[in-house]
Amino acid sequence: MTDLFVDEYPEQARLVRAAFLTSFVALGIGALFGVIQALHRTGVFRIVESTTYYTVLTGHGVFLVITFTIFFLVGLYQWAVTDSLQRGPVDARLTWSWYGLMSVGTLIAAIAILAGFLDDPPDVLGSELSADVLFTFYAPLQANPIFYAGLVLFVVGTWLAGADWFRTWWAWKRDHPGERIPLPTFMVLTTMIMWYISSIGVAVAILAFILPWSLGLIDSLNPTLTRTLFWYFGHPVVYFWLLPAYLLWYIVLPKLSGGRLFSDPLARVVFILFVLLSTPVGIHHQYLDPGISEGFKFIAMTNTMFLLLPSLLTAFTVVASMEHGARQRGGTGTLNWLRALPWKDPAFTGMALAGLVFAFGGFTGIVNAGMNINYLVHNSLWVPGHIHTQVGTAVALTFMAGSYWLVPQLTGNRLVGRQIALFQVVLWFVGIVFMTNSMYRAGLIGVPRRSAEPQYAFDYEVGVGSMTELDVQLALGGVLLFVSTVLFLAIILLTAFNTDSDPLVDGTIPPALSGPEDSPRVLDDLRVWIGIALVLVVIAYAIPLASIVDRGGLFGPDVGPFPVVVDGVMYLQHGVAYVGVLIT
Amino acid sequence: MNIHAYERLWLVASMVLIVGFIVTITYGTVGLGITMVDDREETISPDDVDEDDRFQDPRVEQVGENEFEAYVVSMTFLFQPDPIEIPANNEVTFYVTSRDVIHSFTVVGTNTNTMVIPGEVSAMTVEFDEPGEYGVVCNEYCGPGHHDMEGSLIVHPEDEYSLTELSVDAPDQVGPGEDVELTISIQNGLLEDLETTVDVEVGDETLEQDVTVPGGETEQVSVTVDGDDLEPGDAEWSASVDDEVETGTVTIGDDADDGGDEP
Ligand code: HEM
Ligand SMILES: [Cu+2]
Ligand SMILES: [Cu+2]
Repeated sequence: MTDLFVDEYPEQARLVRAAFLTSFVALGIGALFGVIQALHRTGVFRIVESTTYYTVLTGHGVFLVITFTIFFLVGLYQWAVTDSLQRGPVDARLTWSWYGLMSVGTLIAAIAILAGFLDDPPDVLGSELSADVLFTFYAPLQANPIFYAGLVLFVVGTWLAGADWFRTWWAWKRDHPGERIPLPTFMVLTTMIMWYISSIGVAVAILAFILPWSLGLIDSLNPTLTRTLFWYFGHPVVYFWLLPAYLLWYIVLPKLSGGRLFSDPLARVVFILFVLLSTPVGIHHQYLDPGISEGFKFIAMTNTMFLLLPSLLTAFTVVASMEHGARQRGGTGTLNWLRALPWKDPAFTGMALAGLVFAFGGFTGIVNAGMNINYLVHNSLWVPGHIHTQVGTAVALTFMAGSYWLVPQLTGNRLVGRQIALFQVVLWFVGIVFMTNSMYRAGLIGVPRRSAEPQYAFDYEVGVGSMTELDVQLALGGVLLFVSTVLFLAIILLTAFNTDSDPLVDGTIPPALSGPEDSPRVLDDLRVWIGIALVLVVIAYAIPLASIVDRGGLFGPDVGPFPVVVDGVMYLQHGVAYVGVLIT
Repeated sequence: MNIHAYERLWLVASMVLIVGFIVTITYGTVGLGITMVDDREETISPDDVDEDDRFQDPRVEQVGENEFEAYVVSMTFLFQPDPIEIPANNEVTFYVTSRDVIHSFTVVGTNTNTMVIPGEVSAMTVEFDEPGEYGVVCNEYCGPGHHDMEGSLIVHPEDEYSLTELSVDAPDQVGPGEDVELTISIQNGLLEDLETTVDVEVGDETLEQDVTVPGGETEQVSVTVDGDDLEPGDAEWSASVDDEVETGTVTIGDDADDGGDEP
């Protein structure tokens, strides 16, 4: 058995632990908000006012898909780079600065969101402190400026993290001329290239338009433009959540199965395909938007379908690696090998279940991507169904399972309650089956997402089952997921304090069956891929953006702000406007 | 590059699948002639919605044989008009814009679904075959009252559909024994002629009159009730054409205005 990560790189282990801590705190709050939503929407139990529901939902979105996922990502990637290059960063001060910047950004955004719970929020920078704009913050809904400022700091922090990893790699390259980039580092670097290319979109949306507008420096913006810039970033961001899970599937899962990765070259190809294809597809979130021509939507649809390729290839490699592992463990037969897998290991079982859910969710994603069928499901509860099978399970459950393997190596402590951990991942699976089954079905009959009270004057036409049954499943699934999260956090917390023990894990990663020497070196020439990716982005976005600016102007056809503040004044304004309309 | 035989097979199968999806979807949209919401409409500033011919008076209009247009305004937290009434088996083009933030216009359980973005007009042509009442919701979060944003779409059987509007000119008061004369304007929004009957009731008196209103025009009908048939005091009146009804009160005789009852 080799040295533990924490013994070899104590400083790096400390940083990874800090990142995971932030991530898991966000997971806890997010899950609490999630169960509040599940009970509220279905009318089972309403602890907040329906107008406050949107504060909860903003918190759920931001804390889970920004804080939980991305802090986990930076922790995992710090581990991956350090472990695979076998060295620390060039300058640890940079490492701690990006961690600090990301944390401060999160804190500021969190304050703005949570202020939404106050009856009488204070004024900050000239407007009321609140950010009930959901994680998509579509203008002209307006949050307090500090919300956007917090997001900017956070993103700048991630940029610096990427720079830090590139720097570590450059330093490593000088010492190892002519060597192939170790696969985990290759995955980190390609993910970050994708992130740099895509987060430009949201940075421009915020810095050039939304932030100055929320500060009152400009008084109008073009909502179609900011929305398009958001989705330019909004699709790749889902891969930013997913790629760390892929890293665990490619690097750790084969090992947990008892074998080795099937093909290193294919893994590289997959990550390169993500660099190339994740960004020029964002318009598939805007199939129903006016102001964007059908041609651009069509291009986005085609690109999206090609984006299936890396995921299909991943399915192959992951299953093949698992089968190889099972056969090493004595498994035989066409399917019987499945029994030989280490199902008692929560880290393995969690990741395997996550992969299963991901495969199913992938099919629902194809439905979303079909620009005709999309009309039926767009913004219905079907979409959170898809979100929770993909990021909410494929990613989140893989992260939890990965933590069971990684946290002992980061702390030097033995995992507490392996049996309970196994129960926890299975419970998550059961919970997600209930919750998303309800969400998908409810979405198909038109129940909207993002609604505190999706109960209206009309009745939904439920084909099979009943609305009550769908509601019960959603609420039950939500409660199971919440319980599962609490168990996870308890296990990690107890493990962190379980100092009087030795871990049972072995952190070595065996080499792939087919190694990097089987692939052309051009795969490692990142500049080539950056170049092609930029060309594709320009092809997919230059004309649509130009056309949006040409139609509506850079600052829009005079669209005023709508600060989302729950108070009488707002209702009064709209009441007056409404009466005015009735009279004229 | 060294690729395993199974891997190669899988790669080829994946590409076939992907191309298959693209072909199916292309056929399912372009092939079937389904048009998507796109950029065919000009932009419009939310401030100009009240001056725009289409949106200052949100409504449904007939624009051709079997062709209708519906102009809909979304705002926090309602749709106008509400309800929206259209005929079955006719082409209806919805034009929807927003007065404030981003909303959606979504007919529940159907694929009539579009984002509504301030500054833009979403246009979408649909045909409903099933008469009935459909729920309309906003499925894009638009503020604290988002979940209250609801409207309805009533699809009438084609032969029962009308775009008739009624207005009545009636006196508030007549002297004792004087005749009561009601002037009823019937506006026919459809393109074909409307042959119908006006039913008038004043107090206990009922009268009927046939009328034909040419397509797109307004006809006036005058109905006179003999003052001798009416009791002194307040008399309720109503005038109706098909489903449209107007009502009011006329005071017969010189009842002193007591002032207290006026709203
Ligand atoms: C305890 C577990 C969870 C529960 C009970 C839960 C419940 C819910 C519910 C009921 C909604 C729909 C709200 C609505 O549209 O009105 C929702 C939305 C959402 N959830 Fe979760 N969730 C959980 C965990 C997660 C996780 C782990 C993630 C991601 C890592 C996640 C990401 C999201 C996102 C992105 C949305 C959409 C937010 C929006 O529309 O702005 N959830 N969740
Ligand atoms: Cu997407
Ligand atoms: Cu709305």
